[in-house]
Amino acid sequence: MEETKWEPKVVGFLCHWCSYAGADLTGSARMEYPHNIRIIRVPCSGRIDPMFILRALQNGLDGVLVSGCHPGDCHYQSGNFHARRKFAVTRKLLEYVGIEPERVQFSWVAASEGPKMAQVVKEFVEGVRKVGPNRLFKDEIKDGE
Amino acid sequence: MENKLKEEARKLLKEGKVDYIVGYGKGTVKFRTSPLITNKEEDIEGLVINPFIANNLSRYPAEIKGKLGIVVKGCDSRSLVSLIQDNKVKRDDIVILGVPCEGVVDIKKLVEQIGADIDQVKEIDKEGDNLIVKMDGSKKTVLFGDVIFDKCFGCEYPTPLEYDILLGSEVSPRVELEKSLKKIKEFEDINAPERWRYWKEQFSKCIRCYACRNVCPACFCERCFVDVNIPQWITTYGSWQDNLVFQLIRTLHVAGRCSDCGECERSCPVGITLRSLQRKMVEEVKGLFNYETGVDKDAPPVFTHYEATDPEEFIK
Ligand code: SF4
Ligand code: SF4
Ligand code: SF4
Ligand code: FES
Repeated sequence: MEETKWEPKVVGFLCHWCSYAGADLTGSARMEYPHNIRIIRVPCSGRIDPMFILRALQNGLDGVLVSGCHPGDCHYQSGNFHARRKFAVTRKLLEYVGIEPERVQFSWVAASEGPKMAQVVKEFVEGVRKVGPNRLFKDEIKDGE
Repeated sequence: MENKLKEEARKLLKEGKVDYIVGYGKGTVKFRTSPLITNKEEDIEGLVINPFIANNLSRYPAEIKGKLGIVVKGCDSRSLVSLIQDNKVKRDDIVILGVPCEGVVDIKKLVEQIGADIDQVKEIDKEGDNLIVKMDGSKKTVLFGDVIFDKCFGCEYPTPLEYDILLGSEVSPRVELEKSLKKIKEFEDINAPERWRYWKEQFSKCIRCYACRNVCPACFCERCFVDVNIPQWITTYGSWQDNLVFQLIRTLHVAGRCSDCGECERSCPVGITLRSLQRKMVEEVKGLFNYETGVDKDAPPVFTHYEATDPEEFIK
Protein backbone atom coordinates (compact mmCIF):
# COMPACT_ATOMS: atom_id res chain seq x y z
CA MET A 1 0.00 0.00 0.00
CA GLU A 2 1.28 3.40 -0.86
CA GLU A 3 1.97 5.49 2.19
CA THR A 4 -0.18 8.59 2.42
CA LYS A 5 1.74 11.79 2.77
CA TRP A 6 1.55 13.35 6.21
CA GLU A 7 -0.22 16.67 6.40
CA PRO A 8 -0.09 18.75 9.58
CA LYS A 9 -3.38 18.97 11.43
CA VAL A 10 -3.63 22.02 13.62
CA VAL A 11 -6.30 23.73 15.66
CA GLY A 12 -6.94 27.46 16.00
CA PHE A 13 -8.65 28.97 19.02
CA LEU A 14 -9.88 32.33 17.77
CA CYS A 15 -11.71 34.99 19.68
CA HIS A 16 -15.19 35.75 18.40
CA TRP A 17 -14.85 39.50 18.04
CA CYS A 18 -11.62 39.88 16.12
CA SER A 19 -9.67 36.88 14.95
CA TYR A 20 -12.67 34.72 14.10
CA ALA A 21 -14.16 37.60 12.17
CA GLY A 22 -10.76 38.04 10.54
CA ALA A 23 -10.79 34.42 9.44
CA ASP A 24 -14.33 34.90 8.18
CA LEU A 25 -13.21 37.81 6.09
CA THR A 26 -10.39 35.73 4.66
CA GLY A 27 -13.01 33.27 3.49
CA SER A 28 -15.52 35.75 2.12
CA ALA A 29 -12.74 37.54 0.25
CA ARG A 30 -11.82 34.13 -1.20
CA MET A 31 -8.27 34.34 0.02
CA GLU A 32 -6.59 31.01 0.20
CA TYR A 33 -4.94 29.62 3.28
CA PRO A 34 -3.96 26.11 4.32
CA HIS A 35 -6.89 23.84 5.02
CA ASN A 36 -4.81 22.16 7.72
CA ILE A 37 -6.41 24.31 10.37
CA ARG A 38 -9.63 23.51 12.26
CA ILE A 39 -11.03 26.61 13.87
CA ILE A 40 -12.71 26.76 17.24
CA ARG A 41 -14.40 29.98 18.17
CA VAL A 42 -14.07 31.22 21.72
CA PRO A 43 -15.60 34.39 23.22
CA CYS A 44 -12.27 36.07 23.94
CA SER A 45 -8.57 35.26 24.04
CA GLY A 46 -8.98 35.51 27.80
CA ARG A 47 -11.11 32.36 27.57
CA ILE A 48 -8.26 30.31 26.21
CA ASP A 49 -7.07 28.12 29.02
CA PRO A 50 -3.56 26.66 28.69
CA MET A 51 -5.39 23.39 29.23
CA PHE A 52 -6.88 23.73 25.73
CA ILE A 53 -3.40 23.87 24.31
CA LEU A 54 -2.08 20.91 26.23
CA ARG A 55 -5.13 18.75 25.64
CA ALA A 56 -5.01 19.49 21.93
CA LEU A 57 -1.40 18.36 21.80
CA GLN A 58 -2.15 15.37 23.99
CA ASN A 59 -4.93 14.38 21.62
CA GLY A 60 -2.46 14.31 18.79
CA LEU A 61 -2.92 17.63 17.01
CA ASP A 62 0.32 18.82 15.49
CA GLY A 63 0.00 22.45 16.49
CA VAL A 64 -2.16 25.01 18.25
CA LEU A 65 -2.78 28.56 17.11
CA VAL A 66 -4.22 31.00 19.58
CA SER A 67 -5.47 34.36 18.41
CA GLY A 68 -7.28 37.38 19.79
CA CYS A 69 -7.84 41.09 19.31
CA HIS A 70 -4.93 43.52 19.30
CA PRO A 71 -4.10 45.01 22.69
CA GLY A 72 -6.55 47.77 23.37
CA ASP A 73 -9.21 46.26 21.08
CA CYS A 74 -10.56 43.47 23.28
CA HIS A 75 -14.35 43.49 23.39
CA TYR A 76 -14.10 42.90 27.12
CA GLN A 77 -11.43 45.56 27.58
CA SER A 78 -8.72 43.52 29.24
CA GLY A 79 -9.20 39.86 28.26
CA ASN A 80 -6.25 39.88 25.91
CA PHE A 81 -4.00 41.71 28.36
CA HIS A 82 -4.61 39.01 30.92
CA ALA A 83 -4.23 36.35 28.26
CA ARG A 84 -0.91 37.84 27.21
CA ARG A 85 0.56 37.28 30.68
CA LYS A 86 -0.83 33.77 30.80
CA PHE A 87 0.51 32.91 27.35
CA ALA A 88 3.93 34.30 28.16
CA VAL A 89 4.46 31.83 31.01
CA THR A 90 2.67 28.97 29.27
CA ARG A 91 5.04 29.26 26.38
CA LYS A 92 8.07 29.27 28.65
CA LEU A 93 6.90 26.19 30.49
CA LEU A 94 6.09 24.23 27.34
CA GLU A 95 9.44 24.99 25.86
CA TYR A 96 11.20 24.13 29.10
CA VAL A 97 9.70 20.64 29.24
CA GLY A 98 10.68 20.00 25.65
CA ILE A 99 7.68 20.83 23.46
CA GLU A 100 8.85 22.38 20.17
CA PRO A 101 8.01 26.11 20.27
CA GLU A 102 6.83 25.91 16.63
CA ARG A 103 3.81 23.90 17.73
CA VAL A 104 2.20 26.71 19.66
CA GLN A 105 1.71 30.13 18.12
CA PHE A 106 0.03 33.23 19.50
CA SER A 107 -1.20 36.10 17.36
CA TRP A 108 -3.31 39.24 17.32
CA VAL A 109 -5.55 39.45 14.29
CA ALA A 110 -8.24 42.12 13.90
CA ALA A 111 -11.60 41.63 12.19
CA SER A 112 -10.36 43.68 9.27
CA GLU A 113 -7.13 41.74 8.85
CA GLY A 114 -8.18 38.96 6.51
CA PRO A 115 -4.84 38.88 4.70
CA LYS A 116 -2.93 38.81 7.98
CA MET A 117 -4.96 35.81 9.12
CA ALA A 118 -4.11 33.97 5.92
CA GLN A 119 -0.46 34.83 6.40
CA VAL A 120 -0.36 33.80 10.06
CA VAL A 121 -1.97 30.43 9.31
CA LYS A 122 0.31 29.84 6.36
CA GLU A 123 3.50 30.54 8.30
CA PHE A 124 2.28 28.59 11.29
CA VAL A 125 1.42 25.50 9.27
CA GLU A 126 4.80 25.67 7.54
CA GLY A 127 6.55 25.86 10.92
CA VAL A 128 4.64 22.84 12.13
CA ARG A 129 5.42 20.97 8.94
CA LYS A 130 9.12 21.52 9.60
CA VAL A 131 9.03 20.01 13.07
CA GLY A 132 6.97 17.09 11.81
CA PRO A 133 4.17 14.98 13.23
CA ASN A 134 3.44 15.36 16.91
CA ARG A 135 4.54 12.18 18.62
CA LEU A 136 5.07 13.81 22.00
CA PHE A 137 2.28 12.02 23.78
CA LYS A 138 2.59 8.73 21.95
CA ASP A 139 3.69 5.69 23.85
CA GLU A 140 6.84 4.28 22.43
CA ILE A 141 6.16 1.94 19.54
CA LYS A 142 8.14 -1.23 19.72
CA ASP A 143 9.77 -2.89 16.70
CA GLY A 144 7.37 -4.84 14.58
CA GLU A 145 4.25 -3.11 15.83
CA MET B 1 13.74 30.79 69.84
CA GLU B 2 11.84 27.73 70.97
CA ASN B 3 11.32 29.13 74.46
CA LYS B 4 10.25 32.48 73.18
CA LEU B 5 7.75 30.73 70.90
CA LYS B 6 6.28 28.73 73.77
CA GLU B 7 5.98 31.82 75.89
CA GLU B 8 4.28 33.83 73.15
CA ALA B 9 2.02 30.96 72.15
CA ARG B 10 0.82 30.47 75.72
CA LYS B 11 0.17 34.15 76.05
CA LEU B 12 -1.82 34.28 72.81
CA LEU B 13 -4.02 31.38 73.89
CA LYS B 14 -4.47 32.62 77.44
CA GLU B 15 -5.40 36.13 76.37
CA GLY B 16 -7.81 34.72 73.82
CA LYS B 17 -6.05 36.50 70.97
CA VAL B 18 -6.07 33.30 68.92
CA ASP B 19 -8.19 30.17 68.86
CA TYR B 20 -5.43 27.87 67.73
CA ILE B 21 -1.69 27.74 67.53
CA VAL B 22 -0.27 26.23 64.37
CA GLY B 23 3.35 25.27 64.79
CA TYR B 24 5.81 22.40 64.60
CA GLY B 25 5.88 19.37 66.82
CA LYS B 26 7.97 16.25 66.88
CA GLY B 27 7.22 13.97 63.96
CA THR B 28 6.71 10.25 64.05
CA VAL B 29 9.77 9.72 61.90
CA LYS B 30 13.12 10.51 63.44
CA PHE B 31 14.11 14.20 63.34
CA ARG B 32 11.24 15.12 61.09
CA THR B 33 8.65 17.54 62.35
CA SER B 34 4.88 17.40 61.97
CA PRO B 35 2.38 20.22 62.16
CA LEU B 36 1.18 20.74 65.71
CA ILE B 37 -2.23 22.40 65.81
CA THR B 38 -3.78 22.99 69.18
CA ASN B 39 -6.03 25.16 71.32
CA LYS B 40 -4.79 23.70 74.60
CA GLU B 41 -2.14 25.36 76.67
CA GLU B 42 -0.75 22.05 77.87
CA ASP B 43 0.21 21.08 74.29
CA ILE B 44 2.40 24.14 73.87
CA GLU B 45 5.31 22.36 75.56
CA GLY B 46 5.44 20.12 72.47
CA LEU B 47 6.28 22.96 70.08
CA VAL B 48 9.73 22.80 68.49
CA ILE B 49 11.96 25.00 66.39
CA ASN B 50 15.01 23.24 65.03
CA PRO B 51 16.91 22.82 61.75
CA PHE B 52 14.32 20.29 60.55
CA ILE B 53 11.18 22.40 60.40
CA ALA B 54 10.49 21.76 56.73
CA ASN B 55 6.69 21.94 56.63
CA ASN B 56 5.07 25.01 55.16
CA LEU B 57 2.20 25.62 57.55
CA SER B 58 0.61 28.46 55.62
CA ARG B 59 -1.81 26.00 54.08
CA TYR B 60 -3.78 25.87 57.34
CA PRO B 61 -5.32 29.34 57.79
CA ALA B 62 -7.51 28.81 54.76
CA GLU B 63 -8.63 25.45 56.17
CA ILE B 64 -9.18 26.13 59.86
CA LYS B 65 -11.92 28.43 61.09
CA GLY B 66 -11.01 30.92 63.79
CA LYS B 67 -8.02 33.04 64.62
CA LEU B 68 -4.67 31.39 64.30
CA GLY B 69 -1.24 32.02 65.70
CA ILE B 70 0.96 30.58 63.00
CA VAL B 71 4.67 29.83 62.87
CA VAL B 72 6.38 30.65 59.57
CA LYS B 73 9.87 30.71 58.12
CA GLY B 74 10.87 33.20 55.42
CA CYS B 75 9.57 31.21 52.45
CA ASP B 76 6.39 30.20 54.28
CA SER B 77 5.65 33.81 55.12
CA ARG B 78 5.63 34.56 51.41
CA SER B 79 3.07 31.83 50.80
CA LEU B 80 0.98 33.36 53.52
CA VAL B 81 1.27 36.85 52.11
CA SER B 82 0.35 35.50 48.70
CA LEU B 83 -2.82 34.03 50.21
CA ILE B 84 -3.59 37.41 51.75
CA GLN B 85 -3.14 39.00 48.32
CA ASP B 86 -5.58 36.46 46.91
CA ASN B 87 -8.10 37.22 49.65
CA LYS B 88 -7.93 33.67 50.92
CA VAL B 89 -6.64 34.67 54.32
CA LYS B 90 -7.50 37.79 56.24
CA ARG B 91 -4.50 39.49 57.77
CA ASP B 92 -6.51 40.26 60.91
CA ASP B 93 -7.35 36.61 61.42
CA ILE B 94 -3.77 35.54 61.98
CA VAL B 95 -0.96 36.33 64.32
CA ILE B 96 2.27 35.59 62.53
CA LEU B 97 5.08 34.16 64.62
CA GLY B 98 8.12 34.65 62.40
CA VAL B 99 11.16 32.38 62.48
CA PRO B 100 14.30 33.95 61.00
CA CYS B 101 15.60 30.90 59.17
CA GLU B 102 19.16 29.82 58.43
CA GLY B 103 18.01 26.96 56.24
CA VAL B 104 16.35 23.61 56.74
CA VAL B 105 18.11 20.26 56.66
CA ASP B 106 17.28 17.97 53.77
CA ILE B 107 17.44 14.61 55.50
CA LYS B 108 18.17 12.88 52.19
CA LYS B 109 21.31 14.97 51.79
CA LEU B 110 22.29 14.39 55.40
CA VAL B 111 22.01 10.62 55.04
CA GLU B 112 24.21 10.80 51.97
CA GLN B 113 26.83 12.88 53.75
CA ILE B 114 27.13 10.69 56.83
CA GLY B 115 26.86 7.47 54.85
CA ALA B 116 24.63 5.92 57.46
CA ASP B 117 20.97 5.28 57.95
CA ILE B 118 19.06 7.96 59.83
CA ASP B 119 17.98 5.31 62.34
CA GLN B 120 21.57 4.97 63.50
CA VAL B 121 21.72 8.63 64.41
CA LYS B 122 21.11 9.39 68.06
CA GLU B 123 21.42 13.12 68.18
CA ILE B 124 22.10 16.08 65.94
CA ASP B 125 23.32 19.39 67.26
CA LYS B 126 23.93 22.56 65.35
CA GLU B 127 27.08 24.35 66.38
CA GLY B 128 27.73 27.43 64.29
CA ASP B 129 28.11 26.32 60.67
CA ASN B 130 28.42 22.67 61.60
CA LEU B 131 26.07 19.87 62.41
CA ILE B 132 27.42 17.40 64.93
CA VAL B 133 25.85 14.05 64.19
CA LYS B 134 26.12 11.57 67.04
CA MET B 135 25.73 7.91 66.24
CA ASP B 136 26.30 4.70 68.21
CA GLY B 137 29.88 5.08 69.37
CA SER B 138 30.86 7.59 66.71
CA LYS B 139 30.49 11.22 65.85
CA LYS B 140 30.50 13.00 62.52
CA THR B 141 30.69 16.65 61.68
CA VAL B 142 29.06 17.89 58.51
CA LEU B 143 28.81 21.38 57.12
CA PHE B 144 25.32 22.72 57.63
CA GLY B 145 25.53 24.42 54.24
CA ASP B 146 26.07 21.03 52.58
CA VAL B 147 22.87 19.43 53.78
CA ILE B 148 20.20 22.11 53.46
CA PHE B 149 17.53 22.07 50.75
CA ASP B 150 18.46 23.47 47.33
CA LYS B 151 15.81 26.14 47.76
CA CYS B 152 17.59 27.46 50.86
CA PHE B 153 20.75 28.33 48.93
CA GLY B 154 18.99 30.98 46.91
CA CYS B 155 16.66 32.22 49.63
CA GLU B 156 16.55 35.98 49.47
CA TYR B 157 14.14 36.45 52.32
CA PRO B 158 15.13 34.11 55.17
CA THR B 159 13.57 36.44 57.71
CA PRO B 160 9.80 36.63 57.30
CA LEU B 161 8.76 39.83 55.57
CA GLU B 162 5.44 39.93 57.34
CA TYR B 163 5.11 39.09 61.02
CA ASP B 164 3.60 40.19 64.31
CA ILE B 165 6.19 38.64 66.56
CA LEU B 166 9.70 37.88 65.39
CA LEU B 167 11.11 34.98 67.38
CA GLY B 168 14.78 35.70 66.84
CA SER B 169 17.13 38.18 65.30
CA GLU B 170 17.18 38.76 61.55
CA VAL B 171 19.19 36.40 59.37
CA SER B 172 21.10 37.75 56.38
CA PRO B 173 20.31 36.03 53.10
CA ARG B 174 22.61 33.51 51.49
CA VAL B 175 23.52 34.58 48.00
CA GLU B 176 24.11 31.28 46.29
CA LEU B 177 21.49 31.51 43.60
CA GLU B 178 23.63 29.51 41.21
CA LYS B 179 23.70 26.57 43.58
CA SER B 180 19.99 26.84 44.09
CA LEU B 181 19.28 26.77 40.36
CA LYS B 182 21.93 24.21 39.45
CA LYS B 183 19.53 21.40 38.56
CA ILE B 184 17.42 23.70 36.44
CA LYS B 185 20.37 25.09 34.52
CA GLU B 186 21.75 21.61 33.90
CA PHE B 187 18.36 20.51 32.66
CA GLU B 188 18.14 23.44 30.26
CA ASP B 189 21.43 22.42 28.73
CA ILE B 190 20.07 19.18 27.36
CA ASN B 191 18.16 19.13 24.07
CA ALA B 192 14.39 19.33 23.75
CA PRO B 193 13.63 15.64 22.96
CA GLU B 194 15.75 14.57 25.93
CA ARG B 195 14.00 17.06 28.16
CA TRP B 196 10.66 15.69 27.10
CA ARG B 197 11.84 12.13 27.65
CA TYR B 198 12.98 13.11 31.13
CA TRP B 199 9.52 14.30 32.15
CA LYS B 200 7.88 11.38 30.46
CA GLU B 201 9.96 9.07 32.63
CA GLN B 202 9.38 11.11 35.74
CA PHE B 203 5.62 11.09 35.29
CA SER B 204 5.52 7.42 34.47
CA LYS B 205 6.27 7.04 38.18
CA CYS B 206 3.48 9.35 39.34
CA ILE B 207 0.73 7.52 41.21
CA ARG B 208 -1.57 10.56 41.22
CA CYS B 209 -1.79 10.60 44.99
CA TYR B 210 -2.18 14.40 44.79
CA ALA B 211 0.13 14.90 47.75
CA CYS B 212 1.83 17.68 45.75
CA ARG B 213 -1.47 19.48 45.35
CA ASN B 214 -2.75 18.82 48.83
CA VAL B 215 0.35 20.09 50.55
CA CYS B 216 0.71 23.20 48.38
CA PRO B 217 -0.52 26.43 49.95
CA ALA B 218 -1.03 27.91 46.50
CA CYS B 219 -3.40 25.08 45.52
CA PHE B 220 -6.42 26.46 47.28
CA CYS B 221 -9.22 25.72 44.81
CA GLU B 222 -12.37 24.34 46.33
CA ARG B 223 -12.67 22.12 43.33
CA CYS B 224 -9.50 21.28 41.50
CA PHE B 225 -9.65 20.90 37.72
CA VAL B 226 -8.63 17.27 38.07
CA ASP B 227 -11.82 16.58 40.03
CA VAL B 228 -14.09 18.18 37.47
CA ASN B 229 -15.88 15.55 35.41
CA ILE B 230 -17.93 17.67 33.00
CA PRO B 231 -15.79 18.07 31.05
CA GLN B 232 -13.27 15.64 32.35
CA TRP B 233 -9.98 17.36 31.64
CA ILE B 234 -7.85 14.69 33.19
CA THR B 235 -8.87 11.07 33.40
CA THR B 236 -8.62 9.30 36.71
CA TYR B 237 -6.57 6.66 34.98
CA GLY B 238 -2.96 7.35 35.81
CA SER B 239 -1.24 7.39 32.44
CA TRP B 240 2.02 9.32 32.18
CA GLN B 241 0.34 11.60 29.67
CA ASP B 242 -2.41 12.62 32.06
CA ASN B 243 -0.03 12.75 35.00
CA LEU B 244 2.23 15.12 33.12
CA VAL B 245 -0.58 17.35 31.86
CA PHE B 246 -1.97 17.49 35.39
CA GLN B 247 1.33 18.68 36.76
CA LEU B 248 1.97 21.16 33.96
CA ILE B 249 -1.41 22.75 34.48
CA ARG B 250 -0.92 22.75 38.23
CA THR B 251 2.42 24.43 37.65
CA LEU B 252 0.71 27.17 35.66
CA HIS B 253 -2.05 27.56 38.24
CA VAL B 254 0.45 28.17 41.00
CA ALA B 255 2.87 30.25 38.94
CA GLY B 256 3.15 33.63 40.62
CA ARG B 257 1.82 32.13 43.85
CA CYS B 258 4.56 29.60 44.42
CA SER B 259 7.16 30.69 46.93
CA ASP B 260 9.52 27.82 46.14
CA CYS B 261 8.77 26.33 49.53
CA GLY B 262 9.57 22.93 48.04
CA GLU B 263 6.77 21.09 49.80
CA CYS B 264 5.46 19.49 46.60
CA GLU B 265 8.75 17.81 45.84
CA ARG B 266 9.33 16.87 49.45
CA SER B 267 5.94 15.24 49.72
CA CYS B 268 6.06 13.31 46.46
CA PRO B 269 6.26 9.65 47.46
CA VAL B 270 7.93 8.59 44.22
CA GLY B 271 10.55 11.32 44.18
CA ILE B 272 9.57 13.32 41.12
CA THR B 273 11.73 16.43 40.82
CA LEU B 274 8.80 18.82 40.98
CA ARG B 275 10.82 21.75 42.22
CA SER B 276 12.55 21.89 38.84
CA LEU B 277 9.17 22.85 37.36
CA GLN B 278 7.98 25.16 40.10
CA ARG B 279 11.21 27.02 40.64
CA LYS B 280 11.65 27.48 36.92
CA MET B 281 8.34 29.32 36.87
CA VAL B 282 9.43 31.50 39.79
CA GLU B 283 12.34 32.61 37.61
CA GLU B 284 10.14 33.20 34.57
CA VAL B 285 7.54 35.22 36.44
CA LYS B 286 10.28 37.38 37.87
CA GLY B 287 11.97 37.82 34.50
CA LEU B 288 8.77 38.55 32.58
CA PHE B 289 6.83 40.67 35.03
CA ASN B 290 9.37 41.64 37.65
CA TYR B 291 7.11 40.00 40.22
CA GLU B 292 8.05 38.02 43.28
CA THR B 293 5.57 35.96 45.23
CA GLY B 294 4.44 37.26 48.57
CA VAL B 295 6.83 40.12 49.10
CA ASP B 296 4.14 42.80 49.17
CA LYS B 297 0.74 42.10 50.65
CA ASP B 298 -0.80 45.13 49.00
CA ALA B 299 0.34 44.26 45.48
CA PRO B 300 -2.21 42.72 43.10
CA PRO B 301 -1.49 39.04 42.31
CA VAL B 302 0.53 38.90 39.12
CA PHE B 303 -2.10 37.24 36.92
CA THR B 304 -4.98 39.43 38.01
CA HIS B 305 -3.02 42.39 36.83
CA TYR B 306 -1.34 43.54 33.62
CA GLU B 307 0.69 46.36 32.19
CA ALA B 308 0.26 47.83 28.72
CA THR B 309 3.97 47.24 28.25
CA ASP B 310 4.00 43.53 29.10
CA PRO B 311 6.30 41.46 26.87
CA GLU B 312 4.69 40.27 23.65
CA GLU B 313 7.55 39.75 21.22
CA PHE B 314 6.40 36.13 20.93
CA ILE B 315 2.98 37.16 19.57
CA LYS B 316 2.62 37.55 15.83
S1 SF4 C 1 2.98 13.86 44.76
FE1 SF4 C 1 4.15 12.88 43.12
S2 SF4 C 1 3.13 10.90 42.78
FE2 SF4 C 1 1.70 12.17 43.95
S3 SF4 C 1 0.43 13.16 42.37
FE3 SF4 C 1 2.11 14.58 42.83
S4 SF4 C 1 3.67 14.09 41.28
FE4 SF4 C 1 2.24 12.36 41.35
S1 SF4 D 1 4.20 24.54 44.01
FE1 SF4 D 1 5.47 23.39 45.48
S2 SF4 D 1 7.12 24.83 45.99
FE2 SF4 D 1 5.48 26.04 45.09
S3 SF4 D 1 4.21 26.76 46.79
FE3 SF4 D 1 3.31 24.81 46.05
S4 SF4 D 1 4.24 23.24 47.34
FE4 SF4 D 1 5.51 25.09 47.57
S1 SF4 E 1 -3.97 22.27 40.51
FE1 SF4 E 1 -5.00 24.14 39.97
S2 SF4 E 1 -7.18 23.65 40.11
FE2 SF4 E 1 -6.05 22.11 41.28
S3 SF4 E 1 -6.00 22.89 43.36
FE3 SF4 E 1 -4.10 23.51 42.35
S4 SF4 E 1 -4.54 25.56 41.62
FE4 SF4 E 1 -6.51 24.57 42.02
S1 FES F 1 -12.67 39.75 22.63
FE1 FES F 1 -10.99 39.35 21.29
S2 FES F 1 -9.39 39.14 22.75
FE2 FES F 1 -11.03 39.66 24.07
